[in-house]
Amino acid sequence: MGDTQQPQPAGTGVTGAEAAAALAEIQRRQGQVIKAVLVPGWYWWGMAAGIVAIGAARDSRDLVVQAIAIPLAALAMAVLTVAMTVPAVRRRVRVHSAVQPDARAVGAIFGMIVLVDGVILGIAASLAAAGFRYPVTLGCAAGAAVLVIVGPLVNRYVRRLMLSQARQQTNHAPQAGGTA
Amino acid sequence: MSTARFDELIHAPTRLAIVSLLAAAQWADFKYIRDELGLSDSALSKQLSILESAGYVEIRRRFVGKRPRTSASLSAAGRQAFEQHAAALQQILARSRRDAGARPAVEADR
Repeated sequence: MGDTQQPQPAGTGVTGAEAAAALAEIQRRQGQVIKAVLVPGWYWWGMAAGIVAIGAARDSRDLVVQAIAIPLAALAMAVLTVAMTVPAVRRRVRVHSAVQPDARAVGAIFGMIVLVDGVILGIAASLAAAGFRYPVTLGCAAGAAVLVIVGPLVNRYVRRLMLSQARQQTNHAPQAGGTA
Repeated sequence: MSTARFDELIHAPTRLAIVSLLAAAQWADFKYIRDELGLSDSALSKQLSILESAGYVEIRRRFVGKRPRTSASLSAAGRQAFEQHAAALQQILARSRRDAGARPAVEADR
């Protein structure tokens, strides 16, 4: 490597195809770091099961069942959250501040929580008013279904945002390497 | 916008992979880099030493209990070199696309 800090003309025998492959490699490697900090797919299913369990316990109308099942389900969801976080810590990588999720990602996550809660409360209240049996279980099942569908979508959105921030960091045009 | 500057040292495939990984990270553990890139300990050590000698990477060695733990991060110079290299690659790609677009027109003029 030369010692000069003078800008050099880009064209050191590298072809366009080689440059595209190198840019694709850059994006692939940055994607690996981003993937390490995203929520794994199984997390949404675990949380959904916990939500349904809480709903079913609530509908049982049995105080003993509620006193045992609801804290247990809440504990299981907390354990899942820790289990999801710990491997990310063990991986021993910290995403660069320029690539970390911004307000749009936080907004998407908050929006998902509001949507899931809205579906649970709306459906449970409507079914209860209409005299259905197990309104909370059904409301929680609907909310859990929304979580399982929307969770991975939010994950994908956050990943795309982070990749785009990583691209901006390296001045990549959107079409760089064709692997956005 | 960074100045485009092709960097032969970064462009070598293994080093490009290491620097790209570190560019998205504040820091990364030696084992994490090794596993993600599928390298041996010695191969990664060698490439990190080269990058460290060039002033592109900072290596931090510390002990967690009795276990040594090594992590690496891009230095400010390394980050700048990486950004300039990516800009140079972008420039090469754009030029190649421009040339590919201009060639049929030149041939049609003949």
